[in-house]
Amino acid sequence: MKKVFAILLAALMIIGLAGCSVPSKETTAVPKAEQGKVFNIYAWNEEFKGFFEKYYKVPEGVTVNWIINPSDNGVYQQKLDEALLNQASKPADEKIDMFLAEADYIGKYVDSEYTMDITSFGFKNASTMYEYTIKAASDSKGVCKGVSFQCCPAAVIYRKSIAKDVLGTDVPAEVQAKIDSWEKFDAVAAEAKAKGYYMTASFAETFRAFSNNCTSPWVDANGNLQFDPQITAWMDQTEKYIQNGYTLTAGVWDAEKTNEMFKTGKTMCFFGPAWYYNFCMTNAQDPENGCVGDWCLVKGPQAYFWGGTWLLAATGSDNTAMLKDIFETFTVNTDVLNKMVKDDSQYVNNTDVVKAFAEDPNYGNTSILDGQNDIAIFYELAKDIKWENHTNYDQLLNEGLQNKLQEFYNGSVDEETAMLNFYNYIGEVYPEIVIPAN
Amino acid sequence: MNKNDQKMLRPRKSVSYAKWGYIFILPFFLVYIVFTLTPQFLTIYNSFFENYRSGLKQIGPNFVGLDNYKALFTADPSGTVRILKYAANTLILWIAGAIPQFVIAMLLAIFFTSYRLNIKGQGFFKTVIYMPNLIMAAAFSMLFYTLFSRVGPIQGLLESWGVIDQSFDFFSVRITVRGMIALMNFLMWFGNTTIVLMAGIMGIDQAMFESATIDGANSVQVFFRVTLPLLMPIFVYCLITAMIGGIQMFDVPQVLTNGKGVPNEYTRTLVMYLNNYLTTKNYGMGGAISVILFIITGILGGFVYKMLSAQYKDPERQHRQRKGNVI
Repeated sequence: MKKVFAILLAALMIIGLAGCSVPSKETTAVPKAEQGKVFNIYAWNEEFKGFFEKYYKVPEGVTVNWIINPSDNGVYQQKLDEALLNQASKPADEKIDMFLAEADYIGKYVDSEYTMDITSFGFKNASTMYEYTIKAASDSKGVCKGVSFQCCPAAVIYRKSIAKDVLGTDVPAEVQAKIDSWEKFDAVAAEAKAKGYYMTASFAETFRAFSNNCTSPWVDANGNLQFDPQITAWMDQTEKYIQNGYTLTAGVWDAEKTNEMFKTGKTMCFFGPAWYYNFCMTNAQDPENGCVGDWCLVKGPQAYFWGGTWLLAATGSDNTAMLKDIFETFTVNTDVLNKMVKDDSQYVNNTDVVKAFAEDPNYGNTSILDGQNDIAIFYELAKDIKWENHTNYDQLLNEGLQNKLQEFYNGSVDEETAMLNFYNYIGEVYPEIVIPAN
Repeated sequence: MNKNDQKMLRPRKSVSYAKWGYIFILPFFLVYIVFTLTPQFLTIYNSFFENYRSGLKQIGPNFVGLDNYKALFTADPSGTVRILKYAANTLILWIAGAIPQFVIAMLLAIFFTSYRLNIKGQGFFKTVIYMPNLIMAAAFSMLFYTLFSRVGPIQGLLESWGVIDQSFDFFSVRITVRGMIALMNFLMWFGNTTIVLMAGIMGIDQAMFESATIDGANSVQVFFRVTLPLLMPIFVYCLITAMIGGIQMFDVPQVLTNGKGVPNEYTRTLVMYLNNYLTTKNYGMGGAISVILFIITGILGGFVYKMLSAQYKDPERQHRQRKGNVI
């Protein structure tokens, strides 16, 4: 028995030691080369990965390594922060070369030493790039740290058949005239309800249309939380919509909402930018139960933008040539960009390319819309996008507010409790934010 | 007996095998000290500091004394001390799952070990009841979420039967969400408990059961007078390990409610609360919660142990055991 025990223990210790020694062996054996052999990319979903694999030809001998963590509850930011803070001590091939960031928290990374000046590896921002995408990727001194491969003006995507039934017309210009302010939008919601339809399919559907028009940031210079009139306007509207049954209590990403995009859906309006088609509207494109061609795009009550994915260059990358190459592919390579518009219904970050599509009488989106030239509408909307009033806290504050209020809307708590839960949540995730005492 | 013989018979003083024993258990204690005990003390130490990250900037560590504990036990404007609410949630969720878990496991263990019933195909049943434990808790929760979501099959089925109406949401009612979590924990763990209890029962001498039966005891009497007292050490072990697991309950409610603890945080457990502080690497608050968890676990563990082992302590039997002539 003793012997068995001793052998077991010895085996355990050996396994333990072996476990420690393996990675160190690998790391010391890395050959020092001019450009790295491994290109590490951090991302929170597969969206850009799809485009990357489709349009970017990886140089011979380089392995691209995707590290994907979900964005929910700030998991992506946590994992990325951890990796960036340890970046300096990592061997070259384990360092992050590039990472993706969203509008809601890009500032946190841009304004840090963990991202590098894109001019340091010879990339120059093109004049065709949207100004706000450059501003978002620049630190407080104006040094640009990355590029966006998309521009995200957002609009209202409506079901033609339902619009016809509710409004008596499905022509974009006439529909737009009936929903070009929130008052009119509310009135149409009541009409839709009377005919057995929903105006929107999620309580948070209109959130971005309000929140991206805020005139003050979530947190002021002294660290105090503040509610912009736009946010309170959204809360008022949503409460009314829920009470009147104009919308559903589902979240923006929930299946209950996306199921409304099937042919059988009863919802008239969806709010989103160009990436929404492929990312959120796959149900509408379902060959059996979808309804391709039954959709049109209009500006809606209020111009806004939503999201966007920036590609940031991580300090310490040993693949700067490849970084430059990728940035160029997705911002100035017109062949690729044309294909992205035509085949993937993207609104790319290149004014020349999108202008050509906007002015092309033969262009129309048939992959989801009825052949309408959506680029022309986005092109007009994109001119007005401004980058202001953003904080590094936006993702979790937007997400937290929606999550906590959802419980109020579905009837599990009263509004006061929901707000209290929101404040408590902020206390947990951002202890430095001061909650107004009232 | 000559002098030489006497010398040989005298016990040799210097040889002791004890040191080998110590050498053999040394690796465990080294590992324990490095990986468990030290972090435990560091956790307590950290709980006295303000130490977190704001974005990519580090705040602290600044010594703040008991401020973290004070913050934890300060009531919010509605008068709720939230950590107590979460502690109560945790206990309710655990107890709701543990009662059926132990009752069913005990019954199954007795059935499977009964020489009278002599159930066929035991291997099959044991495998099946153990199965749920092999599934990852996260996957199991996802399955439940999908089944019970607003667009899931259960909602559709119950709607078509007219049991619930369309506006019903399983995730907005306290009892259904708690029920789901308790059910999942029960399903995952009753097989494991059954097998451990079976091992305990099989360790009891069959002659005991036979003699009790011959003496005229019925099966209920046999259970309460023979099986349970002799099984008590194993039972207490099972209960305490299950309780520690229960206090640390995290993955099932976290995944099922996507970390939100709906409705109104009634399914938010202590470790889910702790987990939110990881967002900012808040070692101070995280440490304070961990210390409180440790204290709760210690108190409850001691309480259960005292209560259950005292009840079945028969002084006379212990006395006989000490003398070495058990029955």
